[in-house]
Amino acid sequence: MTDQKPLLEARQVFKGFFGNPVLKGVDIALHPGRVHALLGENGAGKSTLINLLSGALQPDSGTIAVDGRPVGRFSPAAARAAGIAVVQQELSLTADLSIAENIGLGAFPRRFGLIDYAELHRGVRDVCGMVGLTEPLDMPVADLALGRRQMVEIAKALYRKPRVLILDEPTSSLSAHEAGILADVIETLRDRGTALLYISHRLNEVQALCSHVTVLKDGGVTADQSLSGIDGEGLVRLMVGRETGDLFPPRATANPGALRIGAEGFSAGLVRDIAFRGHAGEIVGIGGLVGQGQEDLLLGLYGAIPAKAAKAEVSGRPGLPADVGAANAAGLVYVPADRKHEGLVLPHSIASNLILPSLGRLARNGFRDRTAEGGLIADLARRLTIKGDVARPVQALSGGNQQKVALAKWLPLDPSVLLLNDPTRGVDIETKREIYLMLRGFAAEGRLVIIASSDTPELVHLCDRVVVLREGAVAAELSGEAISEEAIVGAAMGVDRKGAAA
Amino acid sequence: MSSVSSPTWLYGAIQRRRNRGLGGLYLVVAAFLVLYVVLFPGILSVGGFSKFTQNWFPLALVTMAQALLMLNGGITLAIGPLVSLGAVIAATTMESVFGVPGGIVAVAFTGLAIGAVIGAIVAHLRLPAIIVTLAGSFIITGVALILLPRPGGFIPDWLSNTLAGHTPVAFLLLVVVLLLWKAFLATPLGLGIYAAGDNPVGAFRSGVRVERAKIAAFALSGLLTALAGLFVAAQTGSGDPVIGAPFTLNSIAAAVLGGVGFLGGKGTMRGAICGSLLLSVMINVMFFLGFPPVAQYLAQGLIIVGAVAVPELLKSWRARR
Repeated sequence: MTDQKPLLEARQVFKGFFGNPVLKGVDIALHPGRVHALLGENGAGKSTLINLLSGALQPDSGTIAVDGRPVGRFSPAAARAAGIAVVQQELSLTADLSIAENIGLGAFPRRFGLIDYAELHRGVRDVCGMVGLTEPLDMPVADLALGRRQMVEIAKALYRKPRVLILDEPTSSLSAHEAGILADVIETLRDRGTALLYISHRLNEVQALCSHVTVLKDGGVTADQSLSGIDGEGLVRLMVGRETGDLFPPRATANPGALRIGAEGFSAGLVRDIAFRGHAGEIVGIGGLVGQGQEDLLLGLYGAIPAKAAKAEVSGRPGLPADVGAANAAGLVYVPADRKHEGLVLPHSIASNLILPSLGRLARNGFRDRTAEGGLIADLARRLTIKGDVARPVQALSGGNQQKVALAKWLPLDPSVLLLNDPTRGVDIETKREIYLMLRGFAAEGRLVIIASSDTPELVHLCDRVVVLREGAVAAELSGEAISEEAIVGAAMGVDRKGAAA
Repeated sequence: MSSVSSPTWLYGAIQRRRNRGLGGLYLVVAAFLVLYVVLFPGILSVGGFSKFTQNWFPLALVTMAQALLMLNGGITLAIGPLVSLGAVIAATTMESVFGVPGGIVAVAFTGLAIGAVIGAIVAHLRLPAIIVTLAGSFIITGVALILLPRPGGFIPDWLSNTLAGHTPVAFLLLVVVLLLWKAFLATPLGLGIYAAGDNPVGAFRSGVRVERAKIAAFALSGLLTALAGLFVAAQTGSGDPVIGAPFTLNSIAAAVLGGVGFLGGKGTMRGAICGSLLLSVMINVMFFLGFPPVAQYLAQGLIIVGAVAVPELLKSWRARR
C-alpha cells in the first residue's frame, strides 16, 4: 500500500504571515489508496498547509511536489489540473447559482466556448448520486440548508475526478446520516486509489476512516505514523500530550434550582408547539440533525425572531421577551454559532470586543471610564486565559480563542441564562476543554446554560438534560443516565434505538 | 430522483428558475405598460413604439452596464461621464476619413479600454470600485470637455434617422444585445462574474480567475455605456460633453428596481432590464402628464424606496404569519 510513490507531497515547507511563522518545516506525503488524517489544535497550521497543498497560497520556502516532481508556481487552477480537489471548511458556493452550476464552477465542460449544459448535467448527476443529493439540480444553492450545501461542496470536489482529495472538517455541519454517506464515499474513493487527506476534530471519525496520521503542533510535525493500534486517547495524546479522561469536567450531581425558563406551546421559526423548561444550575443540551429548529429555539427565547407561546415564564416574569433588549434585561445572553459575523467585530481589538456589551454600564456622565474598562478587560482576559496582548485585533486569534472572547464579553452583565449556539464548532480540543470547564463553572454558580450542539459526545458528557429536536418538535428529552449517543442519534433520526448510526 | 430528467433540460430549467421572485416585478411592469397604452394609445403605432423604445434604449444599456458590475460585487459612478464621452467621441470622429464605422470603432474601443483600466485598478490594487469610479468620473468628464468644450460636432443625418427615426431599430438592437448577454452568461467567464461577486474567495479556490472576471465585467460595462453615448449622440444629432449626467443615478435606480443587490451575486439581468423599462415608463408618464419637475423627482425617489421596501415588508409579513 505504501510502496507506491506519493501523489502529493509537501517537503520542508515554511510559511509565515506578517512575520509570524505558521509552518516551520513541515513534511507530508499523500499516497494513493490511503486516507491520511491531519490532526492538530486550532492555530497549529492545518489550514495553511491545506492552502499550500491546493495552490491557494505559495510557500515561503520548501517545495510542493506532484507525482514526485516539484512544481514551480502552484495556483488553484494548476492544482486542479494536477487532480487535486479540496472540500473547504468555508463553503465556496455561489448562492444564486444552481446546484449544477456551482458543482461545475471553475471546471465547466465547454462546447464552442459555451458551457456544455448537457455534459455538465451528466457529470453532476453522477456525483450527486454518489453523495445522495436528490434536490433538483437547477435549484439555487441559496434554498439549501447548511448541511446540504456542504454535500454540494463535496459533490463539487468529486466532480473534478480528483486523484487527491483534501477534506477540511467536512462533517462539521453534516447530520449523522450525511456523515455516514460521506464515509462511504471516502471508502469508495480510497479503494479506487485516490489519495485522501482528512482533517477533523471528531476523533471517532478519524479512527473509523483513516489509516495514517500526521499531527501538527505549533507549525511543526510531531507525529507521522500509522494509525493502527492507536485509540482515541492515543490520538489526543499525540495532539496535546495529555490523557483524554479529563476532556469533559465531571458532571455535578444534578441539583436544579429555580425555574428560569418555562414555555408551553412555544413556536418560533421551524419550532412548532413545543414545551421547554430550564432551571438555574442546569446545562440543557439541544440536539438533533442539522437545521431541525435548534437555532430558532434559541433565537425565539432570546426575542431575536418572532416567537409565541401558550404560556411562558422567563426569569420569574410571565411572557417571552419581546425583543433582544428585553431578553438582556431579563438576564439572557446569546452567543451565536457564526462568531465571525454575528458574535465579534473582527478588525477591532480583543479589548474593545470584550467591553462592547458593557460600554453603557461603565460610562460615567456619558463619557467612557477608561480605568474601569481597563480593569474589566484585565479581569476577563485572566478568567478566560486569553493569552497575549489584548490590543491585537480579534481576527488574529485562532477560532477557539475567538469563541472565548465571544463568550467572555457577556460575563460582566452577570447573565442568569446563557444561550449558546454550537460554541465548540471548529474549536480545538484544548480550548474545548477550557470552554467546558467554564460552562460547568457557570452552572455551578447557579446560571442556566442552554447549548445547541452538533457534537453528540458533547451533549452526552456535558449536559444534565438533552432535548432532541426533529422537524421542529421534541423527539426526545433525556436526562441523567438515559443520555447516550445512541439515544440522541436515534431520536434525531426518528428511529428506535436499534439501527441508529453513530 | 432529480426532477430534471433529460440532460438537455438542465439549461432551460435553470433559466426558468431565474424568474423566481420576479413575478411581482413582471406584474408591475405589465400594469404600467397597460396604463401607458391607455394614456397614450399612440405607442401602438410603429412610430410611437419606435419613439418609446428609443427613449428606453440608452437607459436599458446603462442599466445593463451597472447591473453587470453590481452582480460582480462592484458599482460604477462613471456611467454618466462615460455616456457623455461616448457621445463626444462619436460626434468628433465621424467626420474623419473612416466615417461612421471609424466612429463606432473609436467609441467602442474607448469604452472597453476605460472600463478595462478601471477594472484593472480595482482588481489588482484592490481598491473599492465606488472610489475608483468616482475619480474616473471626474477624469472622464474632463476629457470630454477638452475634446468638445460646448455641444456640437457632427453626426450624419442618415445615422440619426436610422437609429432614432420612425423605425424600431433601437428595439431590435436591444434584442440583439440581450441575446449576446444570454450567450455570454452561458460561458464560464459569464458565470464567473456572478460567482466572483457572491463569494470571491470561494470562486478563486474553485479555479475561477477572479481578477480576470472583474476586469472583463468593467470592460464590458464600459463598452455598453460608451455605446449608449453613441446612441444619445445620434438621437440628439450632436455631441454634448455633459449630456450623460442623469444616467449615473438612473442606472443604479433601475438596477435596484429590478432587484439587483448591492453586495454582489444577487439578482438577474432580466430583472435589471425590467427595472429600466419601469423607470423609463414612469419618467415618460410623469413627463407627458405634465408633472412639475419637483414632483417627478419626488415620485421617482419614493417609488424606488418603495420598490426595495415592499419585498422586504412582504417577506417579514409572511414570516410572521
